[in-house]
Amino acid sequence: MSAQTPNTSLSQRVKATPGGEHLLMCYSCGTCVSKCMIQEKINPNYNPRRLIREAVFDDTELAFADDTTWQCTACDLCYPACPQKIHISGVINAVKQAALDAGVKNPAQTAQVDAQTCIACGLCVEVCPYEAISIKVLRVPNRGIIPIADVDAGKCMACGLCSAACKSASIRQTNEFTDQALMDNLWGYLAKGGLA
Amino acid sequence: MVDAARQPLIQVKTFTEVEKVEGFVGNFKVTLREKAKYVRADRCNGCAACAKVCPVEVPNPFEMNLAPRKAAYIPMSQSVPLIYNIDMDACIHCYKCVEACGALKAIDFSMEDKFVEEDIGAIIVATGFSHFDPSVMSEYGFGRFPNVITAMEMERINNSAGPTNGALIRPSDGKTPKNLAFINCVGSRDKRYIPSCSNFCCMYSIKNAILAKQMHPDTEITVYYIDIRTPSKGYEEFYDRAREMGIRFVQGRPAMITEDPDTHNLTVHGEDTMLGQVISREYDMVMLNQAAIPQPDQNHMSSVLNVAQSPGGWFMEYHPKLRPIDSPTDGIFFAGACQGPKDIPASVAQGSAAASRASRILHSDQWQIEPTVAVVWPEKCLSAQGKACGMCARACPYGAVDYVQGKAPTIITAKCHGCGGCVGECPTDTITQLHYTDAQILSQIRTLLATEPEKKILALRCHWCSYGGADLAGTSHFEYSANERGIKVMCSARMDSDFVYEAYRLGAGAVLFSGCHQQDCHYITGQIVGAKRATRLQGVFDRMGMSPGRFRVEWISAAEGDKYARVINEMQASLDEIGPEKLHDEITRMRPEMAKRITKLPNIPLVQQAFNRADEFQTIMLNEIKAK
Repeated sequence: MSAQTPNTSLSQRVKATPGGEHLLMCYSCGTCVSKCMIQEKINPNYNPRRLIREAVFDDTELAFADDTTWQCTACDLCYPACPQKIHISGVINAVKQAALDAGVKNPAQTAQVDAQTCIACGLCVEVCPYEAISIKVLRVPNRGIIPIADVDAGKCMACGLCSAACKSASIRQTNEFTDQALMDNLWGYLAKGGLA
Repeated sequence: MVDAARQPLIQVKTFTEVEKVEGFVGNFKVTLREKAKYVRADRCNGCAACAKVCPVEVPNPFEMNLAPRKAAYIPMSQSVPLIYNIDMDACIHCYKCVEACGALKAIDFSMEDKFVEEDIGAIIVATGFSHFDPSVMSEYGFGRFPNVITAMEMERINNSAGPTNGALIRPSDGKTPKNLAFINCVGSRDKRYIPSCSNFCCMYSIKNAILAKQMHPDTEITVYYIDIRTPSKGYEEFYDRAREMGIRFVQGRPAMITEDPDTHNLTVHGEDTMLGQVISREYDMVMLNQAAIPQPDQNHMSSVLNVAQSPGGWFMEYHPKLRPIDSPTDGIFFAGACQGPKDIPASVAQGSAAASRASRILHSDQWQIEPTVAVVWPEKCLSAQGKACGMCARACPYGAVDYVQGKAPTIITAKCHGCGGCVGECPTDTITQLHYTDAQILSQIRTLLATEPEKKILALRCHWCSYGGADLAGTSHFEYSANERGIKVMCSARMDSDFVYEAYRLGAGAVLFSGCHQQDCHYITGQIVGAKRATRLQGVFDRMGMSPGRFRVEWISAAEGDKYARVINEMQASLDEIGPEKLHDEITRMRPEMAKRITKLPNIPLVQQAFNRADEFQTIMLNEIKAK
């Protein structure tokens, strides 16, 4: 991200970000919301149209606390449907970067690297669709200063691709998406005669 | 239309196309192609015997292809004249119609298209509009789902003379739908397809909803909209009535329609933005209110009539606020939606207005035009000397320059509006604008810069906008530098680059090149010609190393007196900043270059010479007028 002066308003900032140029063109038709799979399957309170309104009115308080800011997976189902050609995931990403720069912590889950076992092979860097993982040289307790995978909390969408790709089980998801929780779920499902 | 056909002074020519339009106001020569109907108008009595025996059935476009018609047909029941046509693309030449017609002998397979030339005084264009095809929007499934229909199909289904005799039924099974959805802004207000608003769809979706509700009061009707636009008298009351009748309005543009393949019922997925929730509701039938678009042959008509098109493809009016009925070509007028999407009251009003504008022409023996028209001195023309040019014809927004390579251009005086674009563009001064001759303007420049030119700011202003802006600055008592000296020309297109070079050669401190904003130009595209030249000049001066602020290009409307005063003050400030010594050096350094660039100066007669030739001008003018 380019350095922003602190007095740049949220809408100006979004407009200056590639993808957010047409922010002010939104006429609140709601097409993006009814296209959205996150809204439909996961979180009924998720609403890109509302987030765009909040960004237009420079309401950082509402925008940074909005679920929409943190849960977009940038699948871009909404983008080709938007009659005003607003790149909505670009707008959301710009709001998210503004929130991170303002020191707001990402409330969504992110992938966690186990520093003790990571061998910096770079498989996770390759598979990450959000370019959230990079190999960095860091000080690790017990192991000294070594190259290791590092997750950018601002970019990670906790999709789990990295966990699936990791050969040494060194990068994992949290809460109900840890390996253990997923296996428990699966066994519980099969025990109930799930597939039958 | 039937009434018009009965009026003896009106001649209705249907199934006829305009092939060519030549001439000018009051004296158009129009070539028409009267297409062959294969039925003789003087014999057919409209008895329909031919249609009854015709074995061929094809979809009827008038019924939006919801019903068939025969190859021998009348386009619609109100056709004028009420005689049958034979559709040669569908006809199988069984000649049963000839037998059925019998002694009348109206059917004539040997007919051919006829070309007719007519003398026309004034032309009113009322070619209407066409509809956006929603099948390109795959999300709404039009064309795939039988129960997704367009507004025009609904119009026919609603019509008691239509294919269903007015019964509201859905196409998949012929049952009466109990649950109807209307979707507005299909293709319109959409940057992917038609960015503009189609003006009347809100009203006809409400109208169709009310009609359906009146026919079947137990029908549930939902209208999806982005914004409901009810701007005219009585329209909001109509919208109120629809809500009172129980028609539900949902603000939100649906993203998708899905179909149940067994029942052919449709589910509309859209956000109710008022609730902030996505709702998916099932409907029996969905109507799409698609965008209005220009006629498919609008581009062709535009070149036949020589009238320009606005962005979006509609015919362009002379001026959007002050002359919305006139075309830029005198004697051609617009009525209805060919000029932009319009509802029925607006179209009728424009039609009546166009008729009265046209009758002004038909009832006068003489037609007055501005005296500032262009005149050609053929001896200097590059084209006449065998070189390729044509800059005058390209600059003319009215098609008034009749240019043929190898000959000097002629100006069709009746078409010329006097912007001076051709005069400013002509590289050899072949064309002169009466009352704004180069000699006159150069004399003004020389007089204004006679003393202390380096202190002066020479302002070239266009008649309609920046001159008005300067005037407003004066009458409003806005203070601006007293060193400003103004020269008025008709349009920024007339501001010859030689005027600017000459001003700098004489030592002018600064030059302002000002005109209308592009969308305000009173000569359609005159400002574009001027702006192009100004950009070119700016580049030349930048390369010469001229101090910034000495040449300025500003577009100032007649309402922007404050802007005019501000611009002049800023120019004065930049002159002060440069300082007299540096300015003097710069002027001296650039003088030879400026003198070199004034290519035409030796050709430009002094005022006295021009005055002596005034009689010659007049003779040319009179001869031209007599020749026509």
